[in-house]
Amino acid sequence: MTTRATRSPRRRTVVALAVILSILCVFIVRLVDIQVVSADEHVNQSLKYLGEGDSIPGQRGDIVDADGTVLAESVTVYDYVMDPKAMKTVEDNEKNPPKLPWAEASTKIAEIMGLNADELRAGVAAAQAENPDTQWYQLAKSMNAEQHTQLRALKLPYLHFEKREKRVYPNGAVAGNLLGYLDGSGTAQAGVEKMEGQCLAPSNGEKSYRKGMDGVVIPGSERTVDAVNGGTVQLTINSDLQWYMTQMIAEEAQAQGAQGGTVTVVDVKTGKIRVAAEWPTMDPNDLDASAPSTWGSKLFTYPFEPGSTFKAVTAAAIMENAGVTPTSPTVTASSKEKFENGAVINDAFVHPTYNYTLAGALIDSSNVALSKFGTMVSPDVRYDYLQRFGVGTPTVGFPAESSGELHPTSEWDNQSLYTTTFGQHFTVTAPQIAGAYQAIANGGEKIDLSLIESCTDAAGTVHEAAAPKKEQIIKPETAAELTRMLENVAVQGGNAERIKVPGYRVTSKTGTAQIPDGNGGYKSGVYYTSMVGFAPVDDPQYVVIVTLDQPTRVTSSAATASAFQKAMTQVMKTYRVMPSTVPMDALLPKFE
Amino acid sequence: MSLNAVVRTPKVAPEAPSRAPRARLEPVTAPRARRKPKLAYALVALGGAMAIGAAQIGLSLAITQDSFTLASLSSQQGDLNLRTQALQEELTGVSSPQALATGASALGMVVAGAPSYLRLSDGAVIGAGTGAGWASTVDPNGAGAVSNSLLQAPTNDATDGPVTEDATTPTEQLPPAITDGLPSPTTH
Repeated sequence: MTTRATRSPRRRTVVALAVILSILCVFIVRLVDIQVVSADEHVNQSLKYLGEGDSIPGQRGDIVDADGTVLAESVTVYDYVMDPKAMKTVEDNEKNPPKLPWAEASTKIAEIMGLNADELRAGVAAAQAENPDTQWYQLAKSMNAEQHTQLRALKLPYLHFEKREKRVYPNGAVAGNLLGYLDGSGTAQAGVEKMEGQCLAPSNGEKSYRKGMDGVVIPGSERTVDAVNGGTVQLTINSDLQWYMTQMIAEEAQAQGAQGGTVTVVDVKTGKIRVAAEWPTMDPNDLDASAPSTWGSKLFTYPFEPGSTFKAVTAAAIMENAGVTPTSPTVTASSKEKFENGAVINDAFVHPTYNYTLAGALIDSSNVALSKFGTMVSPDVRYDYLQRFGVGTPTVGFPAESSGELHPTSEWDNQSLYTTTFGQHFTVTAPQIAGAYQAIANGGEKIDLSLIESCTDAAGTVHEAAAPKKEQIIKPETAAELTRMLENVAVQGGNAERIKVPGYRVTSKTGTAQIPDGNGGYKSGVYYTSMVGFAPVDDPQYVVIVTLDQPTRVTSSAATASAFQKAMTQVMKTYRVMPSTVPMDALLPKFE
Repeated sequence: MSLNAVVRTPKVAPEAPSRAPRARLEPVTAPRARRKPKLAYALVALGGAMAIGAAQIGLSLAITQDSFTLASLSSQQGDLNLRTQALQEELTGVSSPQALATGASALGMVVAGAPSYLRLSDGAVIGAGTGAGWASTVDPNGAGAVSNSLLQAPTNDATDGPVTEDATTPTEQLPPAITDGLPSPTTH
């Protein structure tokens, strides 16, 4: 039994102990909070006062073609400066004269740097005359590794250099417009450089350390985070074929007196763009050598009215929705007709009134006949087919790519109700036309075009581009009949002799588009001409489209025939496509 | 556990043997004789210390030597990296299709037209079956030449180099040796 007297001191002890313990608990909680819970925050705070660091630059990634050929890479170059004051100190040291006196050293420096030795000496002397204490004189910039090695071997204490990253495009203007370029600060301005900026960009590393009050590095505080170089972007482009096409279209465009030209090659089975060539070209190694208007990719950014190449799409719409076959029914068409609603449609050449089959209308590329065929289905159906074939949808997401313009049917007037049957009143880019023909060549299955194969990061992990969307946009039978008609266009059309590729069965369709003059009208007498086709017909492998901007020697689409023939021949050869073994079906009748 | 727990008989501790009583303290008759210090111990201790010292000097010498080797190797690596870079830069541009095409055209080669294939199983010619024409479909030196500013700068040095000397020295052109017989298709 406890008495009051004995209870009281014990309670006091207990209370005191409890107080001490609770205070201890508070301290422990605070300690844990400082040391563990918000440790990072405090460390970061302290680093503001103690931490210092240097950035370690990473290198921008390469761009390679489908075979791994390097199209763009980053190299280190060296910018040299000299210290005239230090040079003078070394020269004037009589006890220990320099091994290489300035008179000789300057000659060697000038020789390595490609400067004039006398000018160099005069320049340095002038700088010294102006300010005897000057420690800075700019020598040559962008020295390569070879020059840097030689300069280093001179062992001159007054030469200093700074490393810098420079972008080099080993193939020059081959795919230059496609690759794009970087500005002076290293920011991508166009093309794949811009499109794949995220993959190519390096993340810089850092060398950090802490300094005490007196500026001494605290031992053990050095930490290095390595830089991560940018990833390698692989394109679907074949650089050798791209070179041939660039060279060929440059020759053809100049021979035809055109202002420009493009060639696009698409793999039918995969939708991969193998060539995206154009002229005038741009060499990203030397931007100033070409006009700023050529620095972008006109191929992806210039929309035009395709003209007759889209008659194939009208044909697909009416074959699937109005029961039209290549040979029946027929329509009567003369070379110029006025329709009930007041629209007037002309053909490109004068001909008597014919009973055109659909095949004949395509072979002769009769606008009047197509207007009559096309209006067998409602404008909404045709609008749907244009959309299905890719009009109004950008292809690969190229920087500043044009998606073309497709007006809703409510905006079609009396004239455009008919002109939309033969490729007018809407615009597309050349890759979009290639995409539309890819679907026809691939049995009606449209595969979205792609330009980027993959991105391989610095660790070697390959990130494949997202699989392209595939969609059956027309029935395989429709695609087969269209292919047969397009082969008949190649064989019976006006360019038949000029586009023959010996040994191969090819399809082709020409397109002649009027060019807006900027004042609401069209330029007279000049056109944006194109020719598209695929081969071999018995097992289509590649779609080729060639365009010429305002050819003047031959103004019609016949101007593109020679370029198309060369392009198709080279594609068949490059990819070892076997010549056709199955003979062509009987020719389709043009008239009835 | 079993309910029928075994009943243990308590162990009885054996009785400790009784000791004969002895006086706690005894007078010391004479101081114990002091042992002579052994020399061997001193030598071992001294020798050990010297060995440790020698080992440490040797080790630090080795480390210093290694750091010199390391420094010289890393500078060598730096030089070699530079050399690699320089050699790669020499290749840049020369490996471009323009350079190849220009070189080929200088040798009189042309870009031909449509290809033909020879089927080995029956000797059939697939394709047009015509040879290459005299004219090339493109002219790499003509107006359409695809520019490459990398090619213009180094050509002066490159053409004076040993590459062209090798190319001009006449070497006897022999057909490749046939080691595995003529190529033939596998037929079933």
